[in-house]
Amino acid sequence: MTDESMREAMLESVALYALGVLPREETALVAAFIANDDEARREYDELRAAATALAHTADEPVDSARSARLKERLMARVRADAASGRMTAARGAAAYPAWMWGTGLAAAAAVVFSVVTVAQDVNTRGELAAAQRRAATLAVELAESQRSGAAENRTLTDLLAPDARRYAVAPGTVIVRRDRVYFAFSKLGALPKGRVYQAWTAPRGSTTMAPSVTFTPNSDGVAIVALPVDATRVGTVAVSVEPEGGSKAPTTTPTFVRPLS
Amino acid sequence: MDPGVRLMERVQARDVAAFESLYDGYHRLVFGIGLRILGDPTMAEDLTQTVFLKVWTAPEAFRGGSFVAWVSRVARNRALDVLRARSVRPEIEIPADLPLEGSLDDDVLSRLDAQRVRDALAQLPPEQRGLIEMGFFGGVTHQELARRTDTPLGTVKTRIRSGLRRLRQALGEHAAP
Repeated sequence: MTDESMREAMLESVALYALGVLPREETALVAAFIANDDEARREYDELRAAATALAHTADEPVDSARSARLKERLMARVRADAASGRMTAARGAAAYPAWMWGTGLAAAAAVVFSVVTVAQDVNTRGELAAAQRRAATLAVELAESQRSGAAENRTLTDLLAPDARRYAVAPGTVIVRRDRVYFAFSKLGALPKGRVYQAWTAPRGSTTMAPSVTFTPNSDGVAIVALPVDATRVGTVAVSVEPEGGSKAPTTTPTFVRPLS
Repeated sequence: MDPGVRLMERVQARDVAAFESLYDGYHRLVFGIGLRILGDPTMAEDLTQTVFLKVWTAPEAFRGGSFVAWVSRVARNRALDVLRARSVRPEIEIPADLPLEGSLDDDVLSRLDAQRVRDALAQLPPEQRGLIEMGFFGGVTHQELARRTDTPLGTVKTRIRSGLRRLRQALGEHAAP
């Protein structure tokens, strides 16, 4: 397959993604492609708008008895909530049927992290406790996300958001949105056995790199990685190849070093 | 401006009357999406209630753009969640959710109505239209679409891309001020 035909095939996948018919296991590759390619991002925006418009065709009259019953039930709950003043307390899982939450979030997480081994988020033995704390924090954040529908697809949204800042690097793109940093790589080389890629971050105004997560790309050279840092405090990110388990300081020439300015 | 946006501003201030207006204006759309995807009026009713409860209890989830586009995406994604959670059709792989946040074209979407979209859709060749509708409301992957329509996978991909591009072009013409 030529580069041009491969590109056309990827753009067809972008259309499938926009329509929402792409299988979960293929979404990471397509999301990385969109994140790294301006034309793909424009096409995705255009086609997703067309796909979303399809919903309009479902706008048809509802049986009046059903509509009245539904409205009465809904408004009773809303009025009771407004009267009680428990606006904040009412938010959350209790306000929704259990079946509404969790699956969407799990799906989104599976999409984004399908090519990232989160279990490798341990750089050295000394980092284990910190990693566990981060994992616990992330678990809490995920639980919070389940109570807030807005955050369910946050990572995917961040990767594709028009207002995200994008920094080109050799294997793909570093994406920063609000306080979050992601790597969306599509051209990572295969690693020798016993080696992993490791992310590094340096605070603003510093050149001292701190170890971050380790990760391995999939067979297509794709990896989407959410860095467990506050992006507003990060001045530079880098990636290097390290032994499994990670290093405390880079032991090889970095694949890239990218200031986020 | 999308009238839903103004109403949402009031809902965020806990205005019950604004919420009622939102419900009156958009419940048909949400119920219709649920019915088309779930194929069951009772499940569509539950979905409608859940989506509007979300509007009331978590209005901050709407971050601007077109309300109708946002609530449509919420409804579709929740309906797909229902398919997954209840394993209505466990033999079928259900595709991933789409991100919820608005796109650059939200303003275009807010100027559309059902008839305009139906008119634009009617301009597509039947083989493109069928795949796109089945894909959007069927909650199935493109492989499943190929299987159901007995069409080669590559043809399905090409038809979906071509059809969406033509639809976008037709909607752009309709939505032009």
